[in-house]
Amino acid sequence: MKTNQYIAWLAGTTLLAAAGPAQAQSAGSWMVRAGATQISPQVSSGDLTAPSFTGTKVDVLSDTQLSGGITYMVTNHWAVDVPLALPFKHDTVGAGAIAGVGKIAEVKALPITVFAQYRFFEADAKVRPYVGLGLTYAKFFKERGTAALTGLTGGTPANPTLLSAQSRFGITPQIGVNIALNERWFLDLAYYKTFVKTRNTLSTGQHIDVKLNPNTLTFGVGYRF
Amino acid sequence: MGFQRKAWLISLAAAWVLSGCGGGGADTEPLAPVKTIKVVGDSLADSGTFGLKFTVQGAAPTGAGSTPIWPERIASSYGTTLCPRYVFTGSAFNNAAGCTNYAIGGGRINNFTAPSSPVSITKQLTDAGAEGFAAGDLLLVDGGGNDAADLVGAYLSASRDGGASYSAFLKTLLPAATVDAALAGGATGMAQVAGAYMVALADKFHGSIESNALNKGAMRVAVLNMPGIDKTPRLQQLLGGISATAGAAASAQVQGLVKAWVEAFNAQLSKRFAGNEKVVVVDFYTSLNDQVAQPAQFGLTNAKSTACPITGMGTDGLPTYTFATCTAAALSAAVPPAGATGGADWWKTYAFSDGFHPTPYGHQLLSQLVSRSLAQAGWL
Repeated sequence: MKTNQYIAWLAGTTLLAAAGPAQAQSAGSWMVRAGATQISPQVSSGDLTAPSFTGTKVDVLSDTQLSGGITYMVTNHWAVDVPLALPFKHDTVGAGAIAGVGKIAEVKALPITVFAQYRFFEADAKVRPYVGLGLTYAKFFKERGTAALTGLTGGTPANPTLLSAQSRFGITPQIGVNIALNERWFLDLAYYKTFVKTRNTLSTGQHIDVKLNPNTLTFGVGYRF
Repeated sequence: MGFQRKAWLISLAAAWVLSGCGGGGADTEPLAPVKTIKVVGDSLADSGTFGLKFTVQGAAPTGAGSTPIWPERIASSYGTTLCPRYVFTGSAFNNAAGCTNYAIGGGRINNFTAPSSPVSITKQLTDAGAEGFAAGDLLLVDGGGNDAADLVGAYLSASRDGGASYSAFLKTLLPAATVDAALAGGATGMAQVAGAYMVALADKFHGSIESNALNKGAMRVAVLNMPGIDKTPRLQQLLGGISATAGAAASAQVQGLVKAWVEAFNAQLSKRFAGNEKVVVVDFYTSLNDQVAQPAQFGLTNAKSTACPITGMGTDGLPTYTFATCTAAALSAAVPPAGATGGADWWKTYAFSDGFHPTPYGHQLLSQLVSRSLAQAGWL
């Protein structure tokens, strides 16, 4: 889609918001949205198993990507919501005994979540806060180690240390708010936290268990069909 | 607009599905543009000056197929290799131009018996500095282990010759008046002046690295600090001898002194290089102590005994070993010592090859330690 047109939509809908009639998110409505999402892992790292420096830990940095989502109103209050996003790319850096070594790996992550949401107030309310509970499958892929990881684990460029991150299920509670801009258009803001662990395994045999428990902040501009 | 919106959503969904494809891998390019590794030091870093390496020998004693020692492992991280700069002919050291590993077995910071021989690490630094350093050079430095052993030997000899050789040894670095005054102070003075010697030794080491490397353009220098030689099998054998003749308390006292002396050197070395962004001091001291204290954490099954068999007895009454015949094949073919695990690979999880030197795996652990420091400096 053309960016300038998209901006025009945004500007137009924002102007209309004050005057426009309220939406009607009633049973059977479909809604789509597009925006951005930031995932900030709140890492609690175990220790890398032996052989390793005593207390070798990791941290995982945050990433922001274009995102969107689809919502279906089952009743006037209950909704099923599926966020969509481009894959996130998280840098893994050393912590604990290897603090300061910088990036040791990057991992792509695609959290696939299905939320059950309860939306407060009437279907045509201008502002509808909601709470949700989701089941998340955190899919990790395209793991890449760095030269630092290889050096730290005794590998060589000819035999570099590889990394694999286990994809896992987690539970995701959510709070959010849906603000009608006019009859069809709305803003959606949400915060959620996913309780998910993963195990990273190195080609040199060691593994490390990491609680990721990311905070997710997302916003989108949406359209109700 | 409806069409465009749909197209946007479809492409988003497509990207989401496609992103599941593809594999991972590894980026093997280090962060710093290091092109050449230069090395000065002692037997721990010697790539084959004497035609072998000071560890268990691989399929070949040097070159291709030989056991990779820690500086060679670091070199491979940067996609390069090392060869010995000095080649011992039996009577002299020939200069192998183009090779950048200056380290020689027996290397000392204070090589007072032959200060102009390349066995002197300061001489190695002078030779390397004479060629200058390029921006893409990484200098690896190790040294001090043999100096510490010299100090312990001189200190222990005092009971045999009334302190004459100890005094002469100390005066190679310290002012004569300082040494005489300290030795007049009895046992306490004797022990304390060794600490002063170690501080002076660290100053000498620092001064040589500064004038020959940093002042000659070196941008990246990694210096290993002094290992706790009291943890090596050789010093443990020595302390065991003291324990047998003079009692456990005397042995523990000597071990405490050695530890304090090594720590005095390391504290001074860290102090002199503190805040210098071109130099990282690698904490070999703590690492070796950790390996001996918690072998399993480092994948070691034995951090006390030697993997190589004893082949003789030295004039000091301590066992000697022969690296030329201590090959991987010979150790794997040998009957494993009682309690060893791993079958033919039993020796691969030992920390020490002979009384003073690491096994190939010990070298790997040391390379991992150096890699950590290099990564922390942003160079790997």
